[in-house]
Amino acid sequence: MKMINDFMTAAADYFPMLIGKGSPKFVTSSGKPVYGIVAEFDETPKVFKAAQHVRDAGYTKWDVHSPFPIHDMEEAMGMKSTKLPLMAGGAAIAGVATAAALQWGTSFVLYPTVVQGKPFEAWQPFVPIMFELGILFTAFMCIFGMLALNGLPRWHHPLFTHDRFMRVGNDKFFIVIEATDPDFDPSKVKKVLEDAGGTHISLIEDID
Amino acid sequence: MEHIVTESANHPAPEATALSGAEWQRRLEKIAADPRMSEENTTIAKSPIAVPLFFAGLVATIVSVISGFSMSGHGMHMLASIEVGLFTALAISLGGMFWVMVFHSLNAGWSITLRRQFENLGSVIWFPAVLLIIIALIEVISGGIMLKWIHHEGYNHLLHVKEPYLNSSFFIIRVLVYAAAWIIISRCFIGWSKKQDETGDRRLGRKSRRVAGFAIPVFALTTTFAAFDFLMSPDYRFFSTMWGVYYFASCGLAGASGVAIIAYFLRRAGKLEGLVTSEHSHDLGKLVFAFTVFWAYISFSQYFLIWYSNIPEETAWFYNRQEYGYNWLFWVMVIGHFVFPFLLLIWRQTKRSLNLLAIMSVYMIVMVALDMVWILRPMADFAATSVDGSSIVRIALDLVGIFGILAMYFGLVAIKVSKGPLLPLKDPMLHEALKHKNYV
Repeated sequence: MKMINDFMTAAADYFPMLIGKGSPKFVTSSGKPVYGIVAEFDETPKVFKAAQHVRDAGYTKWDVHSPFPIHDMEEAMGMKSTKLPLMAGGAAIAGVATAAALQWGTSFVLYPTVVQGKPFEAWQPFVPIMFELGILFTAFMCIFGMLALNGLPRWHHPLFTHDRFMRVGNDKFFIVIEATDPDFDPSKVKKVLEDAGGTHISLIEDID
Repeated sequence: MEHIVTESANHPAPEATALSGAEWQRRLEKIAADPRMSEENTTIAKSPIAVPLFFAGLVATIVSVISGFSMSGHGMHMLASIEVGLFTALAISLGGMFWVMVFHSLNAGWSITLRRQFENLGSVIWFPAVLLIIIALIEVISGGIMLKWIHHEGYNHLLHVKEPYLNSSFFIIRVLVYAAAWIIISRCFIGWSKKQDETGDRRLGRKSRRVAGFAIPVFALTTTFAAFDFLMSPDYRFFSTMWGVYYFASCGLAGASGVAIIAYFLRRAGKLEGLVTSEHSHDLGKLVFAFTVFWAYISFSQYFLIWYSNIPEETAWFYNRQEYGYNWLFWVMVIGHFVFPFLLLIWRQTKRSLNLLAIMSVYMIVMVALDMVWILRPMADFAATSVDGSSIVRIALDLVGIFGILAMYFGLVAIKVSKGPLLPLKDPMLHEALKHKNYV
């Protein structure tokens, strides 16, 4: 049930009509829903320690933004390993099965065809196609599954409304705790981020 | 064009190192001070079962030889089962040698804490190499037991055409060249590595890297032609240009598997604590996994082309095996050597747990041995005119022959492992292996 829920939430990035949007828990004075609260950091060790702090505070829907990859950050954030390998494995099995079904179905079951005097039920000629289609499906799943899990492609992001956030491409690090987190409470989140050593803590409005 | 001119004294000489001598000394001191590099953690006493294992193998081989000669029609059978064990052992050693050269030429950092075990496997190659020479001499003197082309009655056009390659004297010369090349290459690499342990001369690492580049082609050619001579020429009508790669795939697989097994036993004895971690196990497992897939790719490609083109002398090789009692082994190879280990080794957890990886490695070496059975053993059945003994006796003769060689080989490996440190102590890349981590 949780898996279906997760899937629907991910799919709703592309097809908003799939899930009915409930009324937001928190709104700003202008009536817009809250996207999350962002805090700024100057140095890699600081943002690393802050990530551990936020992880230990028990938040799940949050992210660290950095100009470059930081080794061991996934541990500091307490991230679970991705579901992508399982999805790719499923795609591989689907690819092999599709190739097998297409070839056996057409040239053995529906319309038995003599090729080079080989037996109808020969499995050998089908193997390269099964191999190729397995790889093709896996590669597609890796690329498109990765994009989907990352919520890409998208036109815009609420964080881009925050002017200071633009320096994430240069020399600043940011931690964002999102309003979708079950423990989200603006005053508590601000406190946690302050304790973690964040500066310029500000609230980000959702786009609509 | 403007030239930048420097005084020759300031210009780095070709053999200059990026790290200054003082910095290198500091690094060595830092490594020596690492608690993981304590003598207790990096040396092991000789295993009490090593020598008994060797002698058990020796007894089994003697039993195999005696029973092979005393039961009529089993001489070839006996030799085939001994060669199955021999080529499995040779594959492990060649694999160890191959990986050492690959690690050197790629300047690999992660593998340094495991490299001594690869070197150990490689340097035991004298045992299968000497046995190979003995078997070659026996073949030539007896007029061909497995290798029927050595002696033939009357005019055989195919053998006449192949005479320039398939003749006894050139065969003996080739075998001597293979054995010499393998022993020299493996001695060189373990010799430099052990010398570096004592002197800390980091230029030996560079020397190994340089020599590895030249030794890999030598390894490739000798392995290919050894596979042609012993594994392909028992059926002299058959030919496959894939054959060298086919045996090499077994070598790479068996070498990596062998090291995984040694590493498991060392870790179980409480050695290499913190030096061989699940990170190293993970990367070693990737090699085992990669060569499982590579073997399947190579052997299926070979089978597929032979099946499709349907040339009689090629197809006969597979046809005879499938029609005369070895079809089960064909499917054991497809399912057991590829599908099953592929589905298990693809999981990250299997590779990261050294215990699971060691179990898979034992299994893979059994599969390599069965692959050799598939290649060699049916030749004895095809040639047999009358055979003594029930099927149980014949299977027992197979098992004794295979066990004998492998037990002697593993006994020698176990003795070799206990000689000297369990890893290169002063390798220039050791610091990388000490903090190795997979980020995927």
